[in-house]
Amino acid sequence: MLELVDLSKKFKQMYAVKNLNMFIEKGEIVGLLGPNGAGKSTAISMLSSLVEPTNGDGRFNNISILKRPAPLRKVIGMVPQEIALYNDLTAEENLRFFGRIYRLKGNVLKKKIDEILELIGLADRRKDVVEKYSGGMKRRLNIGVALLHDPEVIIMDEPTVGIDPQSRNYILETVKRLNAEKQMTVLYTSHYMEEVEFLCDRIYIMDKGNLIASGTKDEIKRILSAEKTISIKAERLNFLCHHYGYFFFFRNHTINYRILF
Amino acid sequence: MMNGQNPNINVKVTFIEHGDEAEQVDRFMNEIENDLPQAAVEGIQSGIDGMMPISILKKEVFGSEDLKEIVEINEVHLSERTSVLDDNTYTTVIEVPDNFTYQTLKHMVLDQDTQPTLKVTQNDQHQIGSSIVSDVLNQFQEQLTLGTFLEKNGIDQNAIQLDEESYGEVTTINQKKSVTSKGYYAVGMAVMNVLFIASTIGSMAFLEKKIHVFDRVILANVSRWVYFTGVLISGTIIGFFHLLIVFGFAWLVFGVSWPDLIAFFTVTLAFAAAVGGIAVLLTAISYRFNSEVITNFFSGIVVTIMAVLGGSFFPLGDSSAIIRTLGNLTPNGAGMSAYLTILRGDGISQIGSHIFFLIIFAIVTVIIAALSFPKRGLAK
Ligand SMILES: Nc1ncnc2c1ncn2[C@@H]1O[C@H](COP(=O)(O)OP(=O)(O)OP(=O)(O)O)[C@@H](O)[C@H]1O
Ligand SMILES: [Mg+2]
Repeated sequence: MLELVDLSKKFKQMYAVKNLNMFIEKGEIVGLLGPNGAGKSTAISMLSSLVEPTNGDGRFNNISILKRPAPLRKVIGMVPQEIALYNDLTAEENLRFFGRIYRLKGNVLKKKIDEILELIGLADRRKDVVEKYSGGMKRRLNIGVALLHDPEVIIMDEPTVGIDPQSRNYILETVKRLNAEKQMTVLYTSHYMEEVEFLCDRIYIMDKGNLIASGTKDEIKRILSAEKTISIKAERLNFLCHHYGYFFFFRNHTINYRILF
Repeated sequence: MMNGQNPNINVKVTFIEHGDEAEQVDRFMNEIENDLPQAAVEGIQSGIDGMMPISILKKEVFGSEDLKEIVEINEVHLSERTSVLDDNTYTTVIEVPDNFTYQTLKHMVLDQDTQPTLKVTQNDQHQIGSSIVSDVLNQFQEQLTLGTFLEKNGIDQNAIQLDEESYGEVTTINQKKSVTSKGYYAVGMAVMNVLFIASTIGSMAFLEKKIHVFDRVILANVSRWVYFTGVLISGTIIGFFHLLIVFGFAWLVFGVSWPDLIAFFTVTLAFAAAVGGIAVLLTAISYRFNSEVITNFFSGIVVTIMAVLGGSFFPLGDSSAIIRTLGNLTPNGAGMSAYLTILRGDGISQIGSHIFFLIIFAIVTVIIAALSFPKRGLAK
């Protein structure tokens, strides 16, 4: 459904994303994992047609995202990493504005707004201006706005940063439910392995602009546990002959990977 | 010049005659000698002194007891025309075209020939003086056409048409009002002040980009035309009410009132649209360069330059034709000229070109902004 082919983005001399290949099937929840500066947000911006890639292209249902972004835009919901809301409007007004730009109106829009406020647990604060919200409430509204037009695909960039554990679980449950009930396809970006592990069928891991691992949850988990083994072994081998130790270990492994952290 | 209470009024009226008046009367008399009955010719001959409208205007009207004190008459040669107009000391320049008297006589007596026209140029910096001259010329025109001139009934009321040439501000000879200093400054400050609305809206639009709200707009497949038209309309609406508030205040506190409200609202709307247009330009520029520097530069420096050029502080345009043209090419300058014209008592027909310019300006900005914007909204 969605795929990225050799996608790169260069800022000045530095590659934020380098030769990224990725695909997402309809109805999947896919995780994108990586530390700060890995290039996750940049990759997502190119995927969602907001940033022009330096190289490569994305395809949505076999249509070039670069050449014809409109069909993709119609069906994606975007939860940006930064809170993208009007601070001086209330939750309800924000939802109404963003609903209107998706050409929703009248009763349909009203019902949708009620539904979303309920979903994100802000129904009782609907008349408060966003400025007065706590960080977590803003995050929840930031997610709610992306759901207004019933997107087929939702792209979430670290949606749980700064949210208390309870709300975080609620958000994760909600994502899972949207996927199960509405067959919503999800691309979920995070720093946290456990979030991605809980949600996702498949996981991509990036570091410094490169894709360093990809696979199903189980495959990835195996890599990661292997990595823990590396560090332990490395320490043990250290005082013996650490150079040989490393090489020996790498050569004997079946899955191709590099050290992550 | 801004002092509405100046008691030392000095009116300098300069005549530029293209032809000799006495010669024209002679020529006319020679021609009618053969065509008219002897008695009629003699009748006309006896009133020959009253048949030279320009001399009457100079000697009997401007030279009358009432006006002698304040009016200084100058006569200059045609070749000095430009230097007279450039030297700002004149109040009114009256240009008498070739054959004016001859044609006037022919038109009045024989009902032949076209109605001749005087070219009157008023200096809008001499507001009191030029309105006195206007009144005098009006009365003179009425008397002339009412027939006291030739004591002839049934003469066309519009026998002599006074035509104005635009120099300085466009003024017509029919003006009854002069712009007070309060009126001038109310207009000058309002048209400058509202420019800050444009930069405010420009930076608000850029904020939409900064906080990624604009990304949502792009993802909603909103076309760049719709977006920039939206910015234009916001600027227009806010600018419009801003102007109404400022002029409402000027009306309540300084008594600056508008003789023609429809013209006033039309100019205000057109000018507000141009302000919206500036907001569109600033938005497009800040998006393009992904920086607010331009908007800040605009509100800091460009507004001041535009205000000076447009005449918000003093009528700069009266000292040089280039600056005047430049001034009228700034939206605030065009708006200001239009407002001042209305304050002088002129109607909407006199400010068509300014209104046209303001509206075209607004439309062009949207076109420029939309075309300069990356087609699919993709950021680099
Ligand atoms: N507009 C930009 N101009 C220059 N460099 C940029 C720009 N955007 C991102 N980068 C650089 O690209 C790299 C990847 O950034 P990106 O935001 O994609 O990382 P990320 O994986 O989302 O990190 P985080 O987890 O902190 O959100 C970083 O080194 C960043 O400095
Ligand atoms: Mg990021």
